[in-house]
Formats: sequence, C-alpha cells, structure tokens
Amino acid sequence: MDLIAGLIQTSILAGGVLALAALGEVLAERVGVVNLGAEGLMALGAITGIATVVAIPNPALGFLCALLVGLIVGCVFAFVTVYIRANQVLCGLALTLMGTGLAATIGKAYSGMPAPATFAPIAIPYLSEIPVIGRGLFTQNILVYLIYIVLPIALHYLMFRTRHGLNMRALGENPAAADAAGIPVQKIRFWYVAAGSALAGGAGAYLTLAFVPSWSEGVVAGRGWIAVSLVIFAGYRPLNAVGAALLFGLITSLGFVGQARNWPIAAPVLSMLPYLGTIAFIIVPVVAWQRMRRIMAAPAALGEPYYRDVR
Amino acid sequence: MSIRVQRFPSAPPSAALAARAAAIVLALLVAGIILAGTGASPLKLAGQVIKATFGSSFGLEDVGLLVTPLILTGLSVAVAQRIGAWNIGGEGQFYAGAFAATGVALFIPGPSVVMLPLMFVAGAIGGALWILIPTLARAYADVNELITTLLLNFVATLLVYWVATGPWLDPGGQALATTARLPHDIPEFWGIVHWGFPLAVVITILVAAVLAFTRWGYEVRIAGSNPQAAKYAGMPFRRHLILVMLLSGAIAGIAGMFEVAGTVHRLQGGISNNFGYLGIMVAVLARGSALGVLAGAALMGIILNSGIILQTQGLNVSTVLAITGLILFFTAIGDELAHYRIIRTEPAKA
Repeated sequence: MDLIAGLIQTSILAGGVLALAALGEVLAERVGVVNLGAEGLMALGAITGIATVVAIPNPALGFLCALLVGLIVGCVFAFVTVYIRANQVLCGLALTLMGTGLAATIGKAYSGMPAPATFAPIAIPYLSEIPVIGRGLFTQNILVYLIYIVLPIALHYLMFRTRHGLNMRALGENPAAADAAGIPVQKIRFWYVAAGSALAGGAGAYLTLAFVPSWSEGVVAGRGWIAVSLVIFAGYRPLNAVGAALLFGLITSLGFVGQARNWPIAAPVLSMLPYLGTIAFIIVPVVAWQRMRRIMAAPAALGEPYYRDVR
Repeated sequence: MSIRVQRFPSAPPSAALAARAAAIVLALLVAGIILAGTGASPLKLAGQVIKATFGSSFGLEDVGLLVTPLILTGLSVAVAQRIGAWNIGGEGQFYAGAFAATGVALFIPGPSVVMLPLMFVAGAIGGALWILIPTLARAYADVNELITTLLLNFVATLLVYWVATGPWLDPGGQALATTARLPHDIPEFWGIVHWGFPLAVVITILVAAVLAFTRWGYEVRIAGSNPQAAKYAGMPFRRHLILVMLLSGAIAGIAGMFEVAGTVHRLQGGISNNFGYLGIMVAVLARGSALGVLAGAALMGIILNSGIILQTQGLNVSTVLAITGLILFFTAIGDELAHYRIIRTEPAKA
C-alpha cells in the first residue's frame, strides 16, 4: 500500500517536468515550428532557477526568472526560425548545444549544492488523507496543480474552442491559406514559439527547484528530447501530452522504486527505462494501429518556413 | 533601374562557404567578447592556443587524434543526409561500436593481426545494429528517425557506463570505472596518431567515390533530393534508405572502435567525448559533401583541442560545446541568407 502511494506521488512529481516541457513544444509545433532546442532551454532554465534562489531564496522568483530566460532565448530562436527562416532542425540542435554547454559552464559554481529554497509539497486538507491515493494526488507542490490541471485545460480551450486557436492551428496546417485569410502568420508563430520556449525554461526550473532539487551537470538528461517525443506520441494535443507525461513519470519512478528496493537489476539499466519506453511509445502505436497515423498526424506544414512569395 | 533582393531556390556554393566562414568568425567573436566580460584576455588566450597547437608537432598530433573520430562521425551524419535522413545518434553508435570492439578484444583470444580486423568488423556491426530499430521504424512506419536515434544515445551511454563499472570492470582493480586494458592496439602512424587517422581518410574517400560514381550512389542522391521522383522512376527507395542508414551507423561504430583501440585503450563511460554530437557540426560545415567532411573535421578538431588547451585557464569542454552551438546557429542563419541575391532590374520600356 505504501509502495503504491509512493509510486503515485513520485510519478506525478517526475512527470511534471515532461508535462511542462511537452506543453511548450505543443505550442511551437501547432503553429508549425519544430523546437529541438527544448533540451538546451531546460538546461538554461534549470541553472537560472538554482542561481536565482541562491541569490534570493524564493522558489517562485526562481521559476519566474527561468520562464523569463526561456522567453528571451525563445525570442531569439523564434526570430531566426520564423523571420529569417533559417533551418529549424539546425537552429534547434544549435540551441541545445549552446544551452547545455552554457548552463554547464555557469553551473560549475553551483554543482552538487542543494537548492536553498524549493517548492514544498502542500497537503490539501481532508483530500490528502484519503487512503492510498490521497497522499500522491493531494500532497504536491503548487506547480504540479498548475502543470497538470490549469495549464493543459487552458491550452486545450484556447486551441480547440476559440477562433484564435483555429487560426493558430491553421498556421501549422497551411500557412499560405491562413495568410490569405488575413492571419498574421509570422507574428503568431513568433509569439507561440517564444511562449513555448518559456515553458521549457520553466520545466528546467521545476527540475532544480521541485524535483531533484539541486543542480548537477547533465541534470536534464535528455528530458527535453523525451518531451519532444511525447508530443508526437500525444498527437500534438495538450491534454494527451500531460497524460503521456504522467505515464513517463510512472516509468521513471519504477526505476527509482527498483533502486530503493534493491531489485536485482543494475541502476544504469533501470535508468534506461524512460528512453526505451519513449522509443517504444513512438514506434509501437503507428505500427500496431495504422489508423493512428492519420488521427495523430503532425501538422502538415510542421518544420517548413513560410515564404509568401515562393510556392 | 531598380535594385531589389530576391530569394533563389538554391544557394551558390561560394556564398555558402562565405556564410560558414562568417559564422565561425562571428561565433568566435561573440565567445571572445563574453570571455573578455569575465575578465579574461581573449587575444592572449588565442595566442596561447595558436602556439600550443601549431608551435610543435605535439600540438598537431593532439589535433590529429581528435580529428580521427570527428571525420567518421561527421561522415556518418553526411551519408545519412544524402538520402534525407537525420542520424543524430552518432554518439550512441560510437558507444555501441566501442562496446562491441571491446567485447571482441576482451573475450576472444588471438593475435593482434587477426583481432584488430575482427574488432573493426565488430565495431561496424555494433554501430549498424544500434541504428537498426530507428532505421526499420523509419523505413516501414515513417517514424521520425531524428528522435529515435537521439534517444538511443542515452541508452548507449548508460550501457557502456554500466559494463565498465559492473560486469566488465577491470579485474586488476587498478583503474576505477573502466574495463581492463585492451590486449590489442592500433599501431602508431605518426607520433601519437594511430593508423585510424589515415584509415578514416581512406574510408571517407571511398564513400565519397561510391556516392559520386556508382549507380547506387546516384540513386541515393536522387532519393535524397526527391523521394517521390525516385519512387516513380522505380528506384527501391526503402532498400536504399535502409542500406544508407545502416552504413551511417556502421561508420560511427568504426569511429568508436578506433577510439577505444587506438586512443583510450580501455572502455569507459564518457569515452565518446561528444564526438557524436560534434559530428553533426562537421557534416553541417561540410554541407553534406563527403570530402568536405575532412575539412570540417580538421576545423572542429582544432576548436576541440583549443578547449582542452584552455582547460587550465578555467574553460572546459562545456564551453567548447556552447561555442560549437553558436557556430552551428550562425551557420544555419548564414545558409538561409546565402539564398538571397541582390538583383538589378531594368524597368520595362513602354
């Protein structure tokens, strides 16, 4: 019983990182831009979060600063990919290299230091006392509720229930048609890519201020790439993305449980689980259910820069 | 007469080359300004790097040792790009190749004359196997190979770390977290540079020749630039894709074999030293040309070596990675801008 309660709690906590980063990626990809820089943005957010709370011990401030750094770097990335129209794959890889390298360089001074202020779990009265599931579901830090409930529902409503959301999705499917309909293609793309990058930065801070909580080189450990993969698995939908992230939180926490309970499997092998799981989850569904390919298809113009005058 | 800027579908090679040169200069300039901001003197550091690299044959030998794997990881990415595939998993295939070669060396007895070729083959097979699942998934289910190859990097890193600290840990016990010293070394070719270096050059030239002069190479090129046209023309697109991706993995695996048998002599975690990721950079600088990979690798080798020289000055491998990213970023921008040309148009006479 205690095992299940712990598993639920850790899964939700671990999945939060992926959920936030994946929501950011959904925003960018729905307007037609692949942001492969998520890994680098998360590294920058992670170090920003820790550096901020070392200076001023307030986790909310650390998180906000990480969002801001993500936004600023995201604006540069968005300007280059949307307005200059440079190759999105190359720019994303470059951003990952720059972010990871820069964060590691700055992070030397903070390595191994536990975060002086973190997002502490808040127990919701009564609900958190429900046996088995209560602790896991209702004793979490404030970010968890934002990431799992407020943000995905807000994004889902925005994307699928408003005219603006329709316009936004049109950019990812057929920017030329959207342009003809008077939708400002580049302006909307720019801001959603930047906003998505901000969320990736925030996911980094979640890692160092709520989940781990400390900085070490390689703390992001491919979570940015897993988030990018989750978006494919989730069919570019915010609610699915959060569900998928939770599933991956579960896989990650199974590894932790295995280590804690001395399962006869080596720790590095257990650590492979999330990566192998991700690969399985993006390959198996399209092989097993051909129909999924159409339903979960990527936006048609994903990765293609838009030139008004070139057909 | 009026002047305007127009975008052309293809960039002239000279403009692309100029874009690369400008990107490197700009990136180094930005890095220099940031370094100056932290109180270091970029000019003094640059002087130090040039003296340590070109001032003695030792410096050049160090570069040669770094260039060897970079040629192959770069070639690996460039080959896959020929058919329009992104193999970002060079890092993982490098580990897999090193892992397979080490396994052969440690557990099969034999003279070096036989064992080294066997390790070479094992490295190639290890690399090819490591890309097999992403390849089949791309070929048969159209699953994006960029992400699957990349995710396998983390698995390979963990796998090598695990065997080097666990099952294959040096029984002699002198070295921590590595396997025993391999019984077979690739012999030296020039100073500390082993025969892997000339072999890597030969492999690159061979691959370039096959891609340029054979029917297969021609079909791969067509399939890469226009898959639809290739299919209509009756070219076996899927078969070409699978072969090219496996070849790409095998080349990265060979890089891993060279590194473990020629340079490091023990399998250990972190043996890849980011060579797989830097290979992407090499291929981009080479603009997909197999021979251009040699120049790109030389350049990246010098940059990587500079980072190692400057380690004593407070810089580190991560800083080099960041600067590499900056170069890639500017190159991507330059590549797009190279498509634009200023044209003069005469107004039509009425």
